[in-house]
Amino acid sequence: MSDAEEAKATASSPSAAYPMAVDSLDDEVSSPFQCCVCLDILYKPVVLACGHISCFWCVHKAMHGLRASHCAICRQPYVHFPSICQLLHFLLLKLEPVAYKRREMEILVEEKAADVYSPQFADQLELEKLHFGNGSSSKKFNDCRSGDFERSDLSENCLDHTIKRNISVDDVSCSLCKEMLYQPAVLNCGHVYCVSCLSDLSGEHLQCQVCQSFHPGEFPNICLDLDHFLEEKFPREYAVRREQVQHKKAQCQHVNPSPNSVQKQKPMAQVPSGGMDLWLKEDVSDVHVGVGCDSCGIYPIIGKRYKCKDCKEAIGFDLCEACYNSTSKLPGRFNQQHTPDHAFELDESHMLRNILMQRDNRFDIPQQGLEVIYVPSDDDLHDHENHGDEGSGSEEELR
Amino acid sequence: MLDVSRVQKELAECNRDTAISGVSIALHDGGSDLSRLSGTISGPVATPYEGGTFQIDIRLPSGYPFEPPKMQFVTKVWHPNISSQNGAICLDILKDQWSPALTLKTALLSLQALLSAPEPDDPQDAVVAQQYLRDHQTFMATARYWTEAFARRSSVGIEEKVQKLVEMGFPEDLVRSTLESVNGDENQALEMLCSS
Repeated sequence: MSDAEEAKATASSPSAAYPMAVDSLDDEVSSPFQCCVCLDILYKPVVLACGHISCFWCVHKAMHGLRASHCAICRQPYVHFPSICQLLHFLLLKLEPVAYKRREMEILVEEKAADVYSPQFADQLELEKLHFGNGSSSKKFNDCRSGDFERSDLSENCLDHTIKRNISVDDVSCSLCKEMLYQPAVLNCGHVYCVSCLSDLSGEHLQCQVCQSFHPGEFPNICLDLDHFLEEKFPREYAVRREQVQHKKAQCQHVNPSPNSVQKQKPMAQVPSGGMDLWLKEDVSDVHVGVGCDSCGIYPIIGKRYKCKDCKEAIGFDLCEACYNSTSKLPGRFNQQHTPDHAFELDESHMLRNILMQRDNRFDIPQQGLEVIYVPSDDDLHDHENHGDEGSGSEEELR
Repeated sequence: MLDVSRVQKELAECNRDTAISGVSIALHDGGSDLSRLSGTISGPVATPYEGGTFQIDIRLPSGYPFEPPKMQFVTKVWHPNISSQNGAICLDILKDQWSPALTLKTALLSLQALLSAPEPDDPQDAVVAQQYLRDHQTFMATARYWTEAFARRSSVGIEEKVQKLVEMGFPEDLVRSTLESVNGDENQALEMLCSS
C-alpha cells in the first residue's frame, strides 16, 4: 500500500480528495457490475472468452507471466489479454458516473505511481454519442484508440457528471445486427456481438467486423452479467429480441436440416488458439516472461518477440511473431504512443538466458537465478515492475 | 502492494453475517496492520469439532489478492490435513488453486468444510491420517478430545482463569497478558506460560 499512499501524497491532482478506502460500500455491492477481484465497481472492464468480466488491471495483475492464465471465477485457461470492452466502459460511465469517476481517479494515481497507463478514452465521446446515437460510435471508438490523448485532461473535468444519464437501447446494440444485444459475447478486441450474429459469420477464423482483427482462441461464451442486466433493464425489448433470434434459428434449421448455428459454434470452440499448444510443453526456454504482445494480447509471448525501438514508455511495445508479420495497426495495450513508422528489433535476450540456464542447469530453482539472468535485458525488468506486484512478481511468476 | 481497500471491504463483508456463517475475521491482536489478521471458525456440527472455536492466523502477502493468504491454525486441532504440531494446513485453494476471486471469507468457509470432510489421501499430518484410515474410532475420540481440550471457549470468567494460573505460580501480569493474547484460552495460555 505504501506506494499508493506515497503517490497520493505527491500527486497534485484533485484525486487526493478521494481516499483509497471508500465507505460507499453499500451502493457498490448493489451494482450488478462489480469486479470479483477488487470488489469495487468494474473499471475499464475486460471480458474474457469465458464471458467473465474484470477490471483491466485486475485481469492483468492476475495473469500468469510464465504460463497460461486462468479465469479467476471459472478457471478456464486463456492466454490472450483481451482489449477493454468499450461498450461496457461507456455503459458504466453512464450508469454509475460518480463511482466510475472515483475509480478513474484512484486508478490514475496508481498508474502515475507505476508510470504505466491503461488505454485512455476521451470522455467527450460520450457526449457525442448521446447526440448521434450508437450507429457511428464504433468508428469513433477506433479513432480514439489510435488518437493521442492528454492524460491530464482526464482528472480535470470529471466531477460534473453527478447526474445519472439514462441509458438507451442504442448504448447496448450489437455491432453487427445493430439491434439490442441478445446473449452478448465479447471478442478479444473488446467489441460486442450477439452470439447468434457471431455464429452466422462465415470464415475459418472469427474476425471482428468492426476492427477487422482476428479473435484468437475459443469461441467466446455469452457474457451473462451483461445479458442479465439487459433482460432486467429492457424486459420488453429483450423478449422481442429473444423471439426474433429463436425464430431465426428455427428457420435456419428448417432450411438446412443440420442445425447450422449450433454446429458452427462447436468446431470453433475446439480450434485451439495457435499459442495454446505452446503452453502445454514443459520447455520454457523461449517464453518471454512477463512480456505480452501489444496487438493480440498474448501473454507471455512465446517464440520470437519483436521489440519497438522507438517507444519511450518504460513498459515498451512488443509484438509476437504472428502480429509482427500481420502489419497490425492496433495501438498498444498500455497507452503507448506507438506509431506505424516505429522500427522493431528482434529481441534476442532469451538466447542469453538459454545459454545461462543450460550452463547452470538450474531449472528447478530459478527464483534467484533468473533474477540475475534477467539483468542483461533491462527492458524485461521494467516490464516486470510495471506488471504489478513489485519484487514478489518474479517469484510468483516462476513458481 | 496489498490492496487495502479490498481487504477492508472483505472484513466488513465477512463480519456482516458472522452468526450465520460461523466465520469471522479480526485484526490480529487488535492492531492496525491489515496484513496480519486473525480468523475464527466454529466447528461444524455432526463432526468431532462441533462446539469448538478455532483460531486461524492469517498473513496477507503483499501480492494479495493475486497471491493466496497464508493461513495456519492457532488452535490445536486433530485432523489429517492440519498439522497437529504447528497448525499448517494442506488445502489446494491456499496454494496453487488460489484465485483472486476467492476471499478470506470463502477461504475460511473452505477450512470449515475441510473440517467436515477430511482428505486422508492428501495428508498434512501423516500420523493423524494413518489413524483416520486404520483406526477411525480412536481418531474420532482423539479429535473430539482435542476439541474439548483446546477449542472450547470455556464459560469460566477471565478472573477465575487468572486466579487459577496465578495459583500455579505464574506472575499475575504475565498471566493476564498471555491470556489476552490467546483470547482467554486457558489451555493455550498455560502452554505458553510453561514454554516461556
